[in-house]
Amino acid sequence: MTEPTEQDAAPRPETPYRWVSKPGRIREDRRFVTGQGRYVADITPPGTLHVGLVTSPYAHARITGVDASEALALDGVVAVLTGAELAKDTDPLRQYLAVPEVQWRPLAAEETRYAGEWVAAVVAESRAVAEDGAERVFVDYETLPAVLDPEVAAQPGAPLVHPDHGTNVMAHREFRWGDVDGDLAQAAGTSRVRSRWNRNSTVPLETFGVVAAWDRGRDLLDVWASIQMPQFPEQLAHALRIPTNQVRVHFDVDVGGSYGVKRGIKHGVLAGYLSRMLDAPVKLIEDRAENMHGGDFHGPDRIFDVELAYTAEGIFTSIRIDVIDDEGAYPGRSPLQLAKPIGAIVGPYRIPSAAYNATAVVTNKTGQVAVRGFGQAPTNYAIEAAVDAVARDLGIDRVELRRRNFIQPEEFPYRIPSGTEYDSGDYPAVLDKAIALADLAALEARRDELRAEGRLAGIGVATCLEPGGGNAIFENIMNPANDKTTFPEACRLRVDGDGEITAIISISSAGQSHDTMVSTLVGEELGRDPETIAVIRADSLTGMPSQSPVGSRMTIVLGQAIRGAADELKAKVRAIAAHNLGATPEEVGYEGGDVVVRSDPARRLGWRDIVAIAHRKQHLMPPRTQPGLEVVHVAHTPRSGGLAQPDGTVQLYPCYSFEAHVVLAVIDPGTGAIDLDRYYIAHDCGTVINPDVVRGMVYGGTAHGIGVALYEQFAYSPEGQPLTQSFMDYLLPSAHEVPQIADTEHCTPSPFTSLGQKGAGEAGYMGAPAAVAGAVNDALTAQGAAPIHALPIKPSDVWSALRAAGNEERGGK
Amino acid sequence: MKPVDFELHRPATTDEAIALLAEHAAEAKVLAGGQSLLPLLNFRLARPDHLIDLGRIAGLAQLRRTQDELVVGAMVRQAQAERSPAVAAHAPLLAAAFPNIAHPPIRNRGTVGGSLAHADPAAELPAVARALDAVFVAAGPRGRREITSRDFFRANLMTDLEADELLVEIRFSRAAPHTGADFQEVGRRRGDFALVGAAAQVTVDDGLLSDVRICLTGVAQTPHRAVEAEDLLTGHAPDPALLARAADAIRDTIDPSGDLHATAGYRRDVAGVLMTRAVTGAHRRATETAAEAA
Repeated sequence: MTEPTEQDAAPRPETPYRWVSKPGRIREDRRFVTGQGRYVADITPPGTLHVGLVTSPYAHARITGVDASEALALDGVVAVLTGAELAKDTDPLRQYLAVPEVQWRPLAAEETRYAGEWVAAVVAESRAVAEDGAERVFVDYETLPAVLDPEVAAQPGAPLVHPDHGTNVMAHREFRWGDVDGDLAQAAGTSRVRSRWNRNSTVPLETFGVVAAWDRGRDLLDVWASIQMPQFPEQLAHALRIPTNQVRVHFDVDVGGSYGVKRGIKHGVLAGYLSRMLDAPVKLIEDRAENMHGGDFHGPDRIFDVELAYTAEGIFTSIRIDVIDDEGAYPGRSPLQLAKPIGAIVGPYRIPSAAYNATAVVTNKTGQVAVRGFGQAPTNYAIEAAVDAVARDLGIDRVELRRRNFIQPEEFPYRIPSGTEYDSGDYPAVLDKAIALADLAALEARRDELRAEGRLAGIGVATCLEPGGGNAIFENIMNPANDKTTFPEACRLRVDGDGEITAIISISSAGQSHDTMVSTLVGEELGRDPETIAVIRADSLTGMPSQSPVGSRMTIVLGQAIRGAADELKAKVRAIAAHNLGATPEEVGYEGGDVVVRSDPARRLGWRDIVAIAHRKQHLMPPRTQPGLEVVHVAHTPRSGGLAQPDGTVQLYPCYSFEAHVVLAVIDPGTGAIDLDRYYIAHDCGTVINPDVVRGMVYGGTAHGIGVALYEQFAYSPEGQPLTQSFMDYLLPSAHEVPQIADTEHCTPSPFTSLGQKGAGEAGYMGAPAAVAGAVNDALTAQGAAPIHALPIKPSDVWSALRAAGNEERGGK
Repeated sequence: MKPVDFELHRPATTDEAIALLAEHAAEAKVLAGGQSLLPLLNFRLARPDHLIDLGRIAGLAQLRRTQDELVVGAMVRQAQAERSPAVAAHAPLLAAAFPNIAHPPIRNRGTVGGSLAHADPAAELPAVARALDAVFVAAGPRGRREITSRDFFRANLMTDLEADELLVEIRFSRAAPHTGADFQEVGRRRGDFALVGAAAQVTVDDGLLSDVRICLTGVAQTPHRAVEAEDLLTGHAPDPALLARAADAIRDTIDPSGDLHATAGYRRDVAGVLMTRAVTGAHRRATETAAEAA
């Protein structure tokens, strides 16, 4: 898929760091490529029972009866649990909006609200028998009117998904920042684009899974789960009505992909309940159908109306974004994804005012959940589509239009109208790098040659911001009653009696290479070789506060915790050494583990001697000093702490990465088939910790974005039946569909993080959809056809657009 | 996604397989590569009590030539046939189809007979068999019989095979000299079931098309033999105007359906485009073959 670019051959820029930013072994890779990963499906305590699920065939129905007798008669079936039985003993799953009438439960109790929703659980001695049992549970339904179209759902008189709530609209917020009316009045014109970001998600190879084991003798629920979920242990305990200190979630489990979706709270509650009910370990591993239909893990599903106003010179003056988001049946945390884009509502552009009208509606589809970028990717696509429309309407080159409107490097920190300050960036320089890498003039010549040969060809250019360092202040924006203002991460550093260093974190990872990141940062901070530093994951009871790796935050927030822990550890090392060197702590310096008297470098104490004193020699310790060398540091997210103002202004995320994409698409005029011929990216995430990890993030995110642009969609029939039943219909891009990608890095450090690092996991997914769609539209508009503003763009969409424009190619090339 | 409990049989000879099939008939499914059947089992869409695996019957995996025919055993792996010089020489359309079937790992397991007996109208091999008027040889308790390709494909996933009959081999007439073939299809992704596809094999006689064979995938319940287009083209040079008429003839005679991945109108129109390309490609190859021979 990729081969080294010229940038690889060029000498890397000098960095002030010993290990950071330099090529280093990715320590997780060995276990993954040799099949030594340990996933939740690999964990089977003795006596484990397995869960199969009975699911609703109807998009909306009342459950009038459940007959499990035939299932229970089956050899190997241990129990059947219905939604009504579960509801008696548990609390509903958490809603982040104030919508008390919305009762989201692991198993539907009275009504099912989408086809595929879980209705009953069958527990058996094997998964196969559990599936046999699930087929023999007979549920009586009385069907109810269903609503699938989010715009219809928002109208009065639509069938209600949650009748007690009185409306399908779960949230509607109207924001205006700056002088919207004045800026619109000044404008020479506006371009409007209605765009459709259809329902897709991150679809990991590993479905969601959980093993729960209740230990009656110890009053302890042990849980192993494939999760990336803040507050998972607490929410599990609350729903199960047991104290939070009786739930122990093990984080030393490899998670086989997530990018936001591995929430699994309903799975965890169900498995936990069954384990307590049956006094046995219970394992629930979704199969692909359960995952796709009822996993409650789909991503944003949005209709945008964007209006971008500009002067005659093409200077943007104001932007209005109206968005309606289809949350599926249970809103949960997903409506908050409408709030995060407030932190980058003008993209990388200098736009003095903005209006944002956001509506979250429920429909009879499986629930939505956080997906890569938490709502930023669709918003970026909508903004960039509008920018391309302005370029078309004004007849200005797309690159030039972007350059004219970029926030300039000297303007940082730059406050956007909605209250967030962008930390740093050099957008023109990054775009220039992408254009140079692509050799845009040569690429345009290639496009024009292809056109001359009778093919359709187009170039797409898009940029995106990746907000990094996620905090949860969007909860406060969408629900003022929720006044959570911190979203911390923590690191424990322990130096043992032999002087070996172990870093302990309390989260699981889903492919982000945290072992590499943590060991590199700890090594850099302490001046010790990262290869020698062990990284261990505590469980939720022995660990420290952690919110999980959401919102491109771990290098930033965990990095802050590592900085704090390392500083405290070094302070103690210096104090012990100074005491033994007859100096004050201020008079000594820390040098890679050794401590030296600054004025007399011959007076020094080595790492192992200091460690020995700390662990074994009380007589050499300074007074009132604890033995051992062990510190814990819990860090707030940088720049967090404030509540949102009533108009929604707040500092959202602390760091803003930037990426520019240039892509050449070639389209078969006879079939509409789209081939991505060349792909170039320039990327700036501040200080890179490990170049190969960042490159993997860029490539993977871009592949994901290509999927959104051309392939991936969870589709439903008008009656609410899922049309994407397997990977035959939900189309993930393969190595055939992802072209060779050439990329280059730029570095604008963040002033707000320990080493200038920013987030890196999401930008590809944010930039690629707009870039690829832009390339297709460049090809279409060159033929006089209308641009397509609904993703994914299928060959038959291209064909329809060409036909509508009177382009009928018969046969030929 | 665990199959319903079934009993697995692994006969060593065709006779054993036929006996098992006779015994279990309606409750049995034949496993001949498993690239479609195993997912169907795992989704519980197929629920046989007995699975008869043909993988150990060496006699079914042979590819041979006779005076007039290329005979492909039902259990010949697609990859094996794809690499066969005999297939390339005597059934160029069959050879042209293989690279379009899914991905190499699937062709390593998938068999020619398995795909034909599965009879998915979107698949490549049924269209090839129909285009070439292949003869299907079925064996059962009442002996052997031959089925024409016109009769073999009954409907979507339905063939003329009785529940106790086994497809044992497929016979293709050896292509005449100066014959070329091409297979064209379009899918959402490489390797997917095609939205629509066109198989074409032609013989060139004095610069004119003879023995024109065209079959389409994905436009009907069975592979669609485009006889109107064949008739229009036979005896002529494939000039653009004539090809356009042939494409329109196809568009006028097919009635495809639409789905999530493509509209009916798209399939109808693109069938004509792909037919044009396939015939053009087949003609070019036939001409090249003729030039090489000369």
